Amino acid sequence: MIRFNDVSFAYEDSADFAVRNINLHIDRGEFVGIIGPSGAGKSTLLSMINGVIPHFYKGDYYGEVLVCGKDTVESTCGELSRHVGSVFQDPEAQIVSTVVEDEIAFGLENLNIPAGEIEARIDEALRMTGIEHLRHESTASLSGGQKQRVTIAAAVALRPEILVLDEPTSQLDPAGSRQVFRTLKRLNREHGITILIVEQKVMLLSEFCSRLMVMDRGQIIMDGTTRQVLEHNDRLLELGTNCPRVVTLTKLLKDASLWSGGYPVDVNEAETVVRKILEGANDQYPEPVLPLQ
Amino acid sequence: MISIRNLCYRYNKKAPLVLDNISLEIGRGEFVAIIGQNGAGKTTLLKQLNGLLKPTSGSVTINGLDTATTRTSVLARHIGFLFQNPDHQIFCSTVYDEIRFGLTNTGCRPEQADERIRRISGLLGLDGILTRNPFTLSKGERQRVALASVLALETDILVLDEPTTGQDYRECVEIMEIVKDLNRQGKTIIMVSHDMEVVVDYCKRTIVLHNGRVLEDDDTGIVLRKSESLGLAGLEPPQIIQLALRFGPLFRDVTSPEDMARAIISCTVTGGARV
Repeated sequence: MIRFNDVSFAYEDSADFAVRNINLHIDRGEFVGIIGPSGAGKSTLLSMINGVIPHFYKGDYYGEVLVCGKDTVESTCGELSRHVGSVFQDPEAQIVSTVVEDEIAFGLENLNIPAGEIEARIDEALRMTGIEHLRHESTASLSGGQKQRVTIAAAVALRPEILVLDEPTSQLDPAGSRQVFRTLKRLNREHGITILIVEQKVMLLSEFCSRLMVMDRGQIIMDGTTRQVLEHNDRLLELGTNCPRVVTLTKLLKDASLWSGGYPVDVNEAETVVRKILEGANDQYPEPVLPLQ
Repeated sequence: MISIRNLCYRYNKKAPLVLDNISLEIGRGEFVAIIGQNGAGKTTLLKQLNGLLKPTSGSVTINGLDTATTRTSVLARHIGFLFQNPDHQIFCSTVYDEIRFGLTNTGCRPEQADERIRRISGLLGLDGILTRNPFTLSKGERQRVALASVLALETDILVLDEPTTGQDYRECVEIMEIVKDLNRQGKTIIMVSHDMEVVVDYCKRTIVLHNGRVLEDDDTGIVLRKSESLGLAGLEPPQIIQLALRFGPLFRDVTSPEDMARAIISCTVTGGARV
C-alpha cells in the first residue's frame, strides 16, 4: 500500500537531510504510530505520502515513494488526494466552512462529485466518524475534539484508503484526544482504512496502534509491533521520547525480578500484570515478545 | 498574595458567564495547576490575574493591588505571563532584543538589563543564540525565548498557559525542571496544562475548572483520584493513578511508577496481600 525505496529528502535552502535512507513498507489495514523528538523527520515522512513533498515543498529528492502503486513524484496532489486523506495539528487552520455538513461537502465539490452523491457521502462520513449529531452545527461552536473529528470526516468523505495525521490531538484536552483515537480505531477496524499518525502522546499510541515506528535525526531507528518497541523503553527514554507510565512501572517490576512477561500497552493489561504478581501466579500475560534486532 | 473573590466574567453583556462565581486564595510559593476541558474558562481566568481582562463582578487582588483599578503595566511587575503560543508574544528580530524588550519598558537600566539577560539566557540555554532571529529557531527554543523574556522581569508570580504544548518530551521536561527550580527559589507558579503527567509530576495543588466554576481544589494527589469529577471535566487521571484506583485502598498514596513499584514490592515481601 505504501512503499519507500531508499528515500532521502533535504528541503530547499537546507544543508541537512530531513529524512535519510528510508526503506519502508506499510500494508493495507495497518494502524501505525510514529514517535520521535522534534526535528526527527516525522512530518516530512507524512508529507512524502500525501505528495505535499515534492509538489509544494521543493528540495533534493532521492529514491521513490509508491502510494497505492503510484509514484508520488509522477502523480499530482489531486490524484493522490483520492487515496490519501490528511489531517493536521490545528483544526482551526483546516476548517473553511461555517457549518459542519458544508465543511464535509467542500472537498467533494472540489472533486466534481455529483450533488446527489455528495449527500450520500456526507451521511456516510458522519456515520463513520460518529458525529451525525453535529451535522447542522456551526463549526465555530464546536469543541476542539469535535472540530478535529469534523476534519477527519471531511477527509474520510473522499473515501481515501489511507489517512495521515500530524499531531492531530496536540491542541486537545484528554477527552477530545481519546475521542479522536476512538474514531480512528473505528475507521481502521470497521472500514479497513490504513492509518499513519504522528503523535507525542505515546500513551495513546501504545493503546491504539498495532505498529510503532520511532524516528530520530531523519531515520527510522525502530519499527515493530507496539509491544516489541516498548521492550526498548530504556532506549526511548534515552532518545528523549516519553514512555507510557505503565511500561516504566513494569520495567521496575522486571528489575526487581517480580515479572518476566511482556510489557502492558494500556491500564487494563497493567492491571493484569499487577494482579498476577500480587497473587504470585506464574503464568504470564501479556506474553513476552522478542525484542527487535 | 492572590485573592479572587466571587469573580464573574462575561465577554459581553449578551454572552453567558465564562467565569461563574470563582473564589480562590493562592499563597506565596505555591505551585498550582489549573485543569479542565477546552472552553472551561482556564485561559480567561489566567487573563484576569494580570489585568488583561477585568472582572464583570467580584474582585481579583494581586499583592494587595486590585486589578480593576491597577494599570496592567504596574501588575506586570508582580506577575509574569507566558502565553500558550510563543509566536503570540515574540516580535523582536533577535533573541537578545526580545528578552530586553520588557526590561527596558519597566525602566531597567541598560547595564542591569544586560546582566540579567546574560544570566537568564544561561539558565535557559539560550546564551549561544542571542543574536539569532527567534523565527529561525525551533518551536521549543522559541518557547524558551518567550519564557526568558518573562523571567527577565523577575516577578514573584509566574502564570504559564500550557507551557509544554507542542514540545517533545525532552523539551517538556527541560521547561518544567526550570519552572520547578524557580518555584524552589520561592516564585509562585500558576499553570494551565492538559498533560496530567506534567501536573502529577510537578504541581502540588490542582484546581479543576468546569463551565466556569471551580469543581475541585485540593492537593494534586487527591484531585487526580476523583475520576468522576475529572470525567465530567473531560479529563482522566494519569495512568498510574488509574491503575492504582483499580486496587481499592491498597495503593492509596501512589502517584508515580516508582511509588507503585515500591508498594508492590512491599506487598510481595510481607507476603500475600489479598486483592
